[in-house]
Amino acid sequence: MLRASAACEAAGFPTSSLTCEGFVKQAAVTAVGLGMPNIPVAVVPGHIGTKTPQELHDAILNVTMDDVVNNLTVTPAPIAKAGEPQAREIVVKGGFRAVNQYFVEHEYSDGLPIVPPTRDAIDEFLRYTDRDPEESLGTPLPDKRSATIWSIAVNGVMAGCRPEYMPLLVALVEAMCDPNYGVEHSGNTPGADTLIILNGPIIKQLGFNYTQGALRDGFLPNTSVGRFWRLYLRNVAGFLLHKTDKATYGNTWRVVLAENEDLLAKIGWEPNSVEMGFKAGDNTVTIARYTGGGSLSSVSGSTPEEMLPYLADTVERFNNWQITFTTSHGMGTLRPLIVISPIIAETLAKAGWSKLDVKRYIFEHARRPAHDFERQLRVWNIRGVWDLKADVLAGRIPKVFYESDDPNRLVPIVWKPEDYMIAVTGDPLRNNAYVFAQNGFLGYPTGKKIHLPENWEH
Amino acid sequence: MTDKTNDGYYEAYWPRSPREQLTRKLAPRLDTLEGKTIAQLWDELFKGDIVFELLEEGLKKRYPGAKFVSWREFGSTHGGNEKAALEALPQKLRDFGVDAVMSGMAC
Repeated sequence: MLRASAACEAAGFPTSSLTCEGFVKQAAVTAVGLGMPNIPVAVVPGHIGTKTPQELHDAILNVTMDDVVNNLTVTPAPIAKAGEPQAREIVVKGGFRAVNQYFVEHEYSDGLPIVPPTRDAIDEFLRYTDRDPEESLGTPLPDKRSATIWSIAVNGVMAGCRPEYMPLLVALVEAMCDPNYGVEHSGNTPGADTLIILNGPIIKQLGFNYTQGALRDGFLPNTSVGRFWRLYLRNVAGFLLHKTDKATYGNTWRVVLAENEDLLAKIGWEPNSVEMGFKAGDNTVTIARYTGGGSLSSVSGSTPEEMLPYLADTVERFNNWQITFTTSHGMGTLRPLIVISPIIAETLAKAGWSKLDVKRYIFEHARRPAHDFERQLRVWNIRGVWDLKADVLAGRIPKVFYESDDPNRLVPIVWKPEDYMIAVTGDPLRNNAYVFAQNGFLGYPTGKKIHLPENWEH
Repeated sequence: MTDKTNDGYYEAYWPRSPREQLTRKLAPRLDTLEGKTIAQLWDELFKGDIVFELLEEGLKKRYPGAKFVSWREFGSTHGGNEKAALEALPQKLRDFGVDAVMSGMAC
């Protein structure tokens, strides 16, 4: 919303941005990153989603409207730029506790102790990349700070990563800066967190866990790289709680999910990296944002037909409000992720099923009645002017969503089978699975190849 | 160098980078809304359709000569198509003879 206002202001049109009370601080900080710190907002008291029609009427006409008039007719006072340290500036000198206290007080830390980013430690990280420390990979919103190789090394040190993780960290920031990912949405209220999927020989070279205990902290590379992501979002992208990070409920960072490529090779399934457009054997990272999901315990059966109904049912249940990304608003960007354990994948493959066969099955069976689909968004959620029929007739979504007027017709929750993502990891001998509820364009699956330095093998 | 408390000594670098965005000027404000054309931009979230109806009703009472261009003319300013939508905005606003913009909803 504020980005739209900034585009209008830049083109010469005065704006008033309609902002619920709880988002005024976020707007103020976001406005700095947009280069318009004094862009004015019109406040809607409380939150719009819980007001009666009369309360909404009174709030808009008694409060918001006066703000709108002022916003459009009174020149906002300039706001002075806050002073900041310089790039490569030493900001604190002292003992471990003093450094950590300083980093917490200045919002540079996630609350856990950080490894002090000293010159020696940073230089060790820089030795694992051929790139210039001053090279910028982008200027992610909301802060629009330069995502330099140097800043990646600093935050990698802080997260407790080992220096040899540096090529992976660089690839992650390249993905963060990719416009298709949508990093600017990382502070939205549903509070999605990014999951990193790792592929390639680097999994074993760096000692990532890819078997029992996947997604749990306890392994240095999986845990510290996940922490790096969150620290980089905080320190360089600029997502700070109570300011630009408006997650109502969040998670601690997600530890890295590494695929079991030995198993994938054994059963002839392509790894996630190939689904993302890379060659098998490439070292890659894939990122996407998810608001939770859940595990399926004991996916039982000895054939796909016996196993997959449970999986399809859970996919449909765990992707609830996220179907907003399936509508024209989301441009069909919903990409649920299904993580299955090796023994499930092996059982499916033994019956001759490919990954795409599984996706087709899920597409055909993870469905809900059209009236439920519409009610979720139009009545329960936040959309007021939308339905499947209108979207289909306008050519904005596929015809499969309106094949009859029967409100009980079953419709899929994504546009096509390929929208589902499947990863294989976890306890090799336990038949469990996990479904992640993805957040569409607010963190669209984005992959990057990890470029290793010339001296990597040494 | 280690002190007696084993707390160590560190010279820690700033973990951020300088902001790259230069401060930009806002558009000039209007002297009045009377006789002006006001566009409604909506991200199709949080009851903006109702809010714009209310604002239009209230502003017309205060400025009878004010005119409004509905959010329906612009499409969503958010969503999967945001970048293209924002790039097209300035020309669309000019085409509609817009003087000012109300943009919602941040909730």
